[in-house]
Amino acid sequence: MTAKTRLRLLLCIPAIALIFVFMVLPITNMVEMSFRTPGTTDPFGDDYTLMHYTRILGDGYYWSVLARSLLTAALVTVLCLCVSFPIAWHLSRARGLKAVLLYAAIVSPLMTGVLVRNFGWMIVTALNGPLNETLMALGIIERPLRLLFTQGLVVLALVHVFVPFMVLPINNALRNIPESLGEASASMGASRMQVFRDVILPLSFPGIQPGMILVYVLAVAAYVTPALLGGQMVSVMPTLIIGELTGTFQWPFGSALAITLSISTVIVVVTFTMLTWKLMERAKA
Amino acid sequence: MATVEAIKLHKRYGDFVALDDVTLNAESGQLVTLLGPSGCGKSTTLRCLAGFLDPEGGDIKLDGDSILKLPSNRRGFGVVFQNYALFPHMTVAENIGYGLRLRKCPKPELVRRVGEAVDLVRLNGLEDRLPRQISGGQQQRVALARALVMKPRLLLLDEPLANLDARLRDEVRWLIRDLQQQSGITAFYVTHDQSEAMAMSDMVAVMKSGRVAQFATPREIYQKPVERYVADFTGEANFLSCQSVNAQGAGQYAIQAGGAALTVAGVPGLTGRAELLVRPETLRLAAAGEVADFNGRIVKSAFVGASLLCEIALPDGGVLKLTAPPNTPVHVGDAAAVVMDRAQAWLMPEVAP
Repeated sequence: MTAKTRLRLLLCIPAIALIFVFMVLPITNMVEMSFRTPGTTDPFGDDYTLMHYTRILGDGYYWSVLARSLLTAALVTVLCLCVSFPIAWHLSRARGLKAVLLYAAIVSPLMTGVLVRNFGWMIVTALNGPLNETLMALGIIERPLRLLFTQGLVVLALVHVFVPFMVLPINNALRNIPESLGEASASMGASRMQVFRDVILPLSFPGIQPGMILVYVLAVAAYVTPALLGGQMVSVMPTLIIGELTGTFQWPFGSALAITLSISTVIVVVTFTMLTWKLMERAKA
Repeated sequence: MATVEAIKLHKRYGDFVALDDVTLNAESGQLVTLLGPSGCGKSTTLRCLAGFLDPEGGDIKLDGDSILKLPSNRRGFGVVFQNYALFPHMTVAENIGYGLRLRKCPKPELVRRVGEAVDLVRLNGLEDRLPRQISGGQQQRVALARALVMKPRLLLLDEPLANLDARLRDEVRWLIRDLQQQSGITAFYVTHDQSEAMAMSDMVAVMKSGRVAQFATPREIYQKPVERYVADFTGEANFLSCQSVNAQGAGQYAIQAGGAALTVAGVPGLTGRAELLVRPETLRLAAAGEVADFNGRIVKSAFVGASLLCEIALPDGGVLKLTAPPNTPVHVGDAAAVVMDRAQAWLMPEVAP
């Protein structure tokens, strides 16, 4: 081993240690836990079993919660993309002070803590909250709208907070598209929509793909927002898992649910990546 | 094909005047070059023609009709960009066929015309490559084919050779000129390279800080420049200052320059101080016994292979650069007699008109 390779390995050690201690160990522990028998006095028993997985796979309820989790995250991701693309476009065109202010506005949802932000949503959307009162005062509605504890509000709040994760990579990709490409396309007769469809959109894919994956993974794993804004009405996997782990102290079953969710998410992300592989390969400049 | 007129174009960015009264025209089938240093407004003019920029004043006419209101995608012009602006996610064939596809050209015709364009620029065999998989010269030719396949009314080329190495530049330069002449397309060509401008153009517009300094044929630009700036920009030049000029009618002047009394042609209407343009190639060292135009002293000489570069100091402080045959026996400090082709000397105003 040369001095250079030794130095390289040495420099990798902190990162490897971090990943090992905070990722490999806990996940290994989770996996092991998910095969434990349930305990009576302790949170888990001494023997190993497949019963938690057979229970999850055999029960339509868990399938439906898993499906809701994955579909909600997909909806959040798609809405996030729709909202973020125009914002990213403007950001990529902005210069100077305008760019700074736009950046600040875009990352602003991340500047408040997750609890404060969600309590904010609860207050605003409550039956007698400012939103309903304003709408009633304006005569737009007669009775207060039930917004709180609906899946719609959960989706809205998640889109709100995940927009920066979508905007920033797309902005990056858009900045890498030379303006002359749009001009070239226009000079060949392309309308603005055609320039967008044929040039801008495909070439921004290197930003869209990571943005979508990032938002999807974050949305699947979101706990606080569905727990606070969805209430008892909207169960998703994370709320279920936390319930098992900290409510009923069924650590093995909770772990099995968590592993199921993780594997499902990985399958979705890998499938998405494979389906968009060609688009990505072409757009890499 | 098409005649183009740019009339009194104005464009400003804040306080910076990018275009100031730019007036140019191209006859059908002509290649007009916009020549000048960076920032002189040549690319801005081209971008106005293409419709990427709107001038604040003036008009652009195509075959007599104003096209100022027409957006770039409706002008039907072919544009070749300095960075080629190839679509990186499309193959060579897709790049070339893109415009035809937008026009809903039927598939068999599209395939045929793309094939013809590929033949024209000799890119056969590279149709399915992506732009990043071919060389710079090949990318340049794709850009050219992509513009020509549309049979544009006007071809606009923005420093198309700037990113090529010297050998390729020569090759592509001739290719562009050949294709332009074969197809008879009217073209505007932006460059800062005077030899490119000379070799390719029917007309040259030398631009200087947003204005057209001179718009004329390459020969006129080179031999009869209206001011020193133009002469300097179009090639090697000697300038001798004259304190006073004596008009002899019809652009002829009697002058004293470099210690010699001469009668030369020049810009019409000169009075007061003037500058005499003497191109190095119109000068030679006098043979023994020959009557010289200038007498001076050799201050520099350099052997450059094909020739010998000499600098000769004249009695009035002027300096003449000239080239001599490579084996001429010259020594720094020697007296030198110089003969000038008087018909090619040209008198210009000392200050720009």
